[in-house]
Amino acid sequence: MYILYENEVKRSIEKLDQAWESLETFLFLSDRSGLTQEWLNHTLAQIPMEFKENHFILLTSGSTGRPKLVVGLRDRAEKLASTLHSVQESEPVRETIVLLPLTYCYAFVNQWLWARVNGRKLILTDGFGKPDNVYSALKNAQDCMVCAVGPLITLFQNHFSDDVSFPGVKRLHFAGGMFPQTRMNIVRKYFPNARIYNNYGCAEAMPRLTVRNAEESIEAANIGKPIPGVQMKSSENGEILFRSDYQAVALYDDRGLFAPGDEDWVPTGDFGELIEGGYWRIKGRTNEVFKRYGEKISLPQLLESVSEVWTGQAVFYRERDPSGEEGHVLVLAPEVNREQVNALLQMFRKLYPRTHWPLRLESVVTIPLLHNGKTDYGTLAIMQDKIMHWRQRL
Amino acid sequence: MTNREKLKDLLMDVFLIEPSEFRFDMMRDEIESWDSLGVVSMALGIQETFGYHMKPEEAVAIKGFQQIIEILESKGIKFDE
Repeated sequence: MYILYENEVKRSIEKLDQAWESLETFLFLSDRSGLTQEWLNHTLAQIPMEFKENHFILLTSGSTGRPKLVVGLRDRAEKLASTLHSVQESEPVRETIVLLPLTYCYAFVNQWLWARVNGRKLILTDGFGKPDNVYSALKNAQDCMVCAVGPLITLFQNHFSDDVSFPGVKRLHFAGGMFPQTRMNIVRKYFPNARIYNNYGCAEAMPRLTVRNAEESIEAANIGKPIPGVQMKSSENGEILFRSDYQAVALYDDRGLFAPGDEDWVPTGDFGELIEGGYWRIKGRTNEVFKRYGEKISLPQLLESVSEVWTGQAVFYRERDPSGEEGHVLVLAPEVNREQVNALLQMFRKLYPRTHWPLRLESVVTIPLLHNGKTDYGTLAIMQDKIMHWRQRL
Repeated sequence: MTNREKLKDLLMDVFLIEPSEFRFDMMRDEIESWDSLGVVSMALGIQETFGYHMKPEEAVAIKGFQQIIEILESKGIKFDE
């Protein structure tokens, strides 16, 4: 077993093909994973013999921030890549442009492995670290598929003028957070010819569970229907559980090993429910739904309400109030005026009891992002240059 | 800024009352956001703004904005500017 670093693959994508074709299991890791060699040595040493061949390992920090190694079986992942090709109607697609880190499970399976299994061209970029390269890759795209996360829309707006569009992109996928339903007008401006999909999954599913065409619902929380080979149900407390033909065979974190059997139901870490037509509606991460003074707070639900009166970016981070109760802080970007603050506060007053109101309403110029494009909540919580517009005095 | 203006700003901020709806004769029953946490928030705001530490039972017993003025005036804080 060995570690294959992302930089090596960026220099030569063949390294990843060679790793996939060799018997030995490999860990595909970002150069900036933040993990110590000691942690890696300790964790990799625990991986049993049965996983030391024909598998691959990716790192995820999940919503908890706790590093977790996810072990996948190559055959299963290849089957998923074939299934995705069919359910995502990818036959007309000739190439895929990678904007996210390839070590991110979503990009790894949905793009690199999909391209490999289906004989399509893979075009690597450095993401918005080099926006000019992103621009030229997308401008030259022909019958192309792109995988994105919601916060990338803001980066498109920051880097590309209003009259820019990328007509060569024919398939556009979103995953890794709430589907940007309220920003579809912006997305369609950049990608006028793209069929747009909401993808849902988790690293434990390695990684996909459902798919939905953007037109099938106007609700961001609608994550679509399970793809063939996936079963889903809700647990007694409302958490989404799954069984999948493609799921990870083992997970390792500082609590040890979790190796679900084929008949086991695996928690996704999200609350959700089956709704009419066989679709699933997500109600938020299990850590985004909590009790405050006995009242159930759902941050995704609050964000939906915020999006009714605020068209910029909005995220919540968690914080305890001085009495020790769990609470939440609303952060807006890029800038907000007094009228907009008032509109938001009046929305909270009209729709929610005070327990649901944020502890503070703040703004930043840019929401900090992790290297995989998701919101960096840790940094957001400690940023010094946030502007506070309102606070509850609690 | 007069103490009356300071109190108005504070109460509008605590209870999220729009300037057009604010009156000093507003009563607790008229303000749906005047709940138990609102009482705590109001008491802390009064301490921050006027330096007067309101006892919990005193804060809970307040029935309207005018009563706050009366309490603060009784502590020597002037509202007749």
